[in-house]
Amino acid sequence: MAEAKDLMQRYCDGDAGAFRELYALVAPRLLGYLLKMARERALADDLLQQTFLKVHRARAAYVRGADPLPWIYSIAHRTFIDETRKHKRAVVRVGDAEELPEVPAGLTGESDDRRDDVRADPELVSAALDALAELPAQQREAVVLTKLDGKTVAEAAEIAGTTVGAMKVRAHRGYEALRRTLGKPDEPPKKVAGGAP
Amino acid sequence: MSALDDLPNLPAPAPPPLSQLLEAELAQLTPVSTRRPVRQLALLVAISLIYGVGVLAWLTLRRDLHELPMGWLVSAGLAWLLGFVVPVYLATVPRAGAVMPRWKLAGASAIIGALGFIALGLALHPSAPTSAPPLGWEHFMNGRGCLEFGLATALVPVVVGAIFLRGALPVGSRPIAAALGAGGGSLGGLMLHLHCPITDGLHVGVMHGGVVVVAALLAAALVPRATDVR
Repeated sequence: MAEAKDLMQRYCDGDAGAFRELYALVAPRLLGYLLKMARERALADDLLQQTFLKVHRARAAYVRGADPLPWIYSIAHRTFIDETRKHKRAVVRVGDAEELPEVPAGLTGESDDRRDDVRADPELVSAALDALAELPAQQREAVVLTKLDGKTVAEAAEIAGTTVGAMKVRAHRGYEALRRTLGKPDEPPKKVAGGAP
Repeated sequence: MSALDDLPNLPAPAPPPLSQLLEAELAQLTPVSTRRPVRQLALLVAISLIYGVGVLAWLTLRRDLHELPMGWLVSAGLAWLLGFVVPVYLATVPRAGAVMPRWKLAGASAIIGALGFIALGLALHPSAPTSAPPLGWEHFMNGRGCLEFGLATALVPVVVGAIFLRGALPVGSRPIAAALGAGGGSLGGLMLHLHCPITDGLHVGVMHGGVVVVAALLAAALVPRATDVR
């Protein structure tokens, strides 16, 4: 498969097929990141579409020869932050607890009953995902980018628009919190709450 | 901790198909000319300098220009010019292989410029026999015209920079905007350096240096909305 920057350049030259290839290349990784951040499949899907729409509208800001991935990830990060703020501002009135819809999917993007497909111990993985979901958004993002997506601290800091030092601290604190939560076998981690943080 | 170690190995989720809105946009896809940072920087500097020279020609050169120490006049002028070019360079030109400009360095340059020019103005303000009399605290606000003209000069680099950076700043837009403002403010300061005959340290430091601070703050508050793509 072609590299992201080649696809981005062809796409900026007006090749719609290159955009589809770019989407196929980047969207799964980006959706994984957004799912772990948003904690809800429907919201993550929506954020993914919003992200690519923004990429499309801002494509003239791309610099030829540059790696577009950090920029696309930053747009996803910004989109998530904006959506979170919008949710915080909105006063939503809901009915009785019985009327609340169930959380549609787990953090892997699969329904809860399919979490068992994971080859590793599914209960442990599920517990780890639940513990991850309980972290504050900044720590969660730091853990997701550095520990799960394999980005360097500098790359993660660039994506999140923060300093390397701050990203290191967030990742360390987040990972330590996960270790503490998962290190207590008698105390099962709390269940994932639906909705944006 | 094996559960955490397993998380990176989870299969990536299948993304949904493209939305109708995106499909509709793709159906009308046209080639775009992508951002060329160095060319944009050259254009921004050229347009801003032409505008600055125009403002200076309208306001006229200071009357004590030929009596002031040439060394100070030239070195302070170069400092103002660097205060314009460096933050604007950092705000528009990313490192090689990156799309987004270096917001941390740009933000730092804005802070250094803002504080540096206030300190420079307070500390170094030689006068000549034909210089204007000092304003002091009593008539301090009489010199606010310098702040207004300086900000008017800063407007062009900030607006041009904001247009050039549209969509390029999903993160770090405030420090980048502050750098554009500080750069524009320094151009305003350069213009005032060559126009204003008031050599009172308080006026030069606070009013002329203050242009950099106020322009940086205003740009940081207003520009991010202009560069955002929704």
